[in-house]
Amino acid sequence: MSFSAILGAWIAAFLTLGIFSYLYRDNPFYKIAEHVFVGISAAYVAAISFWTQIYPNLFGRLFPKDGPLAFTGLEFDFNHEFNILYLFPMLLGIMMLLSVFQQFNWMARWGIAYTVAIAAGLKAFGYLNSNVLNQVKASSVDIFSGSLPFFSLGGDSVFNNIVLLVGTLSALMYFYFSKEQTGNFGRFTRLGIYFLMVSFGASFGFAVMGRISLLVGRFNDLIEYSSADYNYATLGVLVFIIVTLGFWSFQNPERKEN
Amino acid sequence: MKFLEDIILKLGAVDRRVIFILIGLAVLIPLLTPISLPVRETPTTVKFYDGIEDIPKNSKVLVSFDYGPSTRPEIHPMNVGVLRHMLRNGHQIYISCLWPDGIYMALDALEEITDEVNPDNVSTFDIKEYEDYILLGYRPGAEAVIKGLASDLRKVYTVDVNGNFIDDIEMMDGIKNLNDFAYIYSGSAGYPGTFEWVKYGGDPTGVPMSSGTTSVQVNEVIPYVQTGQLIGLLAGMPGAAEYEKLINVPGIAIQGMAAQSFAHIVIVIFIVFGNLAFFIKQRRDRKY
Repeated sequence: MSFSAILGAWIAAFLTLGIFSYLYRDNPFYKIAEHVFVGISAAYVAAISFWTQIYPNLFGRLFPKDGPLAFTGLEFDFNHEFNILYLFPMLLGIMMLLSVFQQFNWMARWGIAYTVAIAAGLKAFGYLNSNVLNQVKASSVDIFSGSLPFFSLGGDSVFNNIVLLVGTLSALMYFYFSKEQTGNFGRFTRLGIYFLMVSFGASFGFAVMGRISLLVGRFNDLIEYSSADYNYATLGVLVFIIVTLGFWSFQNPERKEN
Repeated sequence: MKFLEDIILKLGAVDRRVIFILIGLAVLIPLLTPISLPVRETPTTVKFYDGIEDIPKNSKVLVSFDYGPSTRPEIHPMNVGVLRHMLRNGHQIYISCLWPDGIYMALDALEEITDEVNPDNVSTFDIKEYEDYILLGYRPGAEAVIKGLASDLRKVYTVDVNGNFIDDIEMMDGIKNLNDFAYIYSGSAGYPGTFEWVKYGGDPTGVPMSSGTTSVQVNEVIPYVQTGQLIGLLAGMPGAAEYEKLINVPGIAIQGMAAQSFAHIVIVIFIVFGNLAFFIKQRRDRKY
């Protein structure tokens, strides 16, 4: 095992157990892991965005090899041709960065406005087509289709079609607030709440399942790092954190909340 | 009865740290002493498997790695399985990433299935870059990137992850946009991921696509399977385990299912006791 792999295992074990230590209470190990995570994430995304997007796709188009701006001494060869339009996104980007200076604060709004407008335009079409039209189309089913069995657990059936229709209508009616939800209408919207509750329950179940899966993943890594190949990284870090945390807790007793 | 109620009340008021330790143990013990539990395929996983089987042999397929280390335990086993399945069927794989860490996830997955690095000659392949696969790399921009790929891939990717010009790579001949792929797959952990691929990739182009997602997203993504916008779906780690079973290469997802199941049992027990304690307390408060 190389030195870098062993060092990586010790750092990974420390950061993982540092984050887990929050389950006991907020403490310096958790703070270190949290700050390192945030700092590295931000720096990593900034660096990779620059080298994979700005450098080849922006500079590559504004300062191509043998382009009209070659006299500046800047030349980036990415098989692009010169395109003056790319000055516009570069300017907007610079204007957004200028928000750190108070007197140029207003400039950032132009870049943000452009980004918001583009995103809104892009998303409007996507949502309308994929989430509204296609879903409405799929909900329009032939309820009593003769070719379908009356009941099926997994596939299409008359019973499932009725559930789909009643569930969709009652859940939608629950959000209709122009009529007081009393009487038969109230009972129907109440049914809608039950459908929504089932959906929220399923979401909660899936969320729990996801979190446990991530825990399984971290434990798998910690088990791997506890082997002799990694100089017992997990065990070493675990003992260090427990002893230090015990000492720290002794000096900083937890305040009882009333 | 009162004695039993008192015990339930005590269990309902147990310190949260005790629950953490019990869940930790419920996960750790099955991982240390592996227990084999049966894995049964769900219809969405079977559809997913059949969808890949139905791709004509030796096709060009796009695989997107849209996740990072934080969700690796859920998505990585799926993506490794998908690569194995596609290579077994002779497809050429084009890898893109909407997440910056996706590059390293893809490199890890490729390493795992490469004979040269990890030869077991059963679940690994003698694959060569620029012949069997190409790693296009990461581009920031989320849905804008997908829209770009749908119209002109070469405007988004001028160089691949190694810095080689796309135009000079033979494997890229004939690839102009998403319509030139026979299939799209996204291993997605959130934004940008499955939703964006469906809206700006699969739906507008009509190229068949499927996805593997984290458990948290399943409830929102599954309507796409029912409408046919997604051919199939791998739902979290259980979905990955089912898929590993279908492709007959048991991996880390199947190993994790026992731990997953035991942890769920502990959580369900605490939910039951927590609710019972709540109702008992409510009844007693009403009485006095």
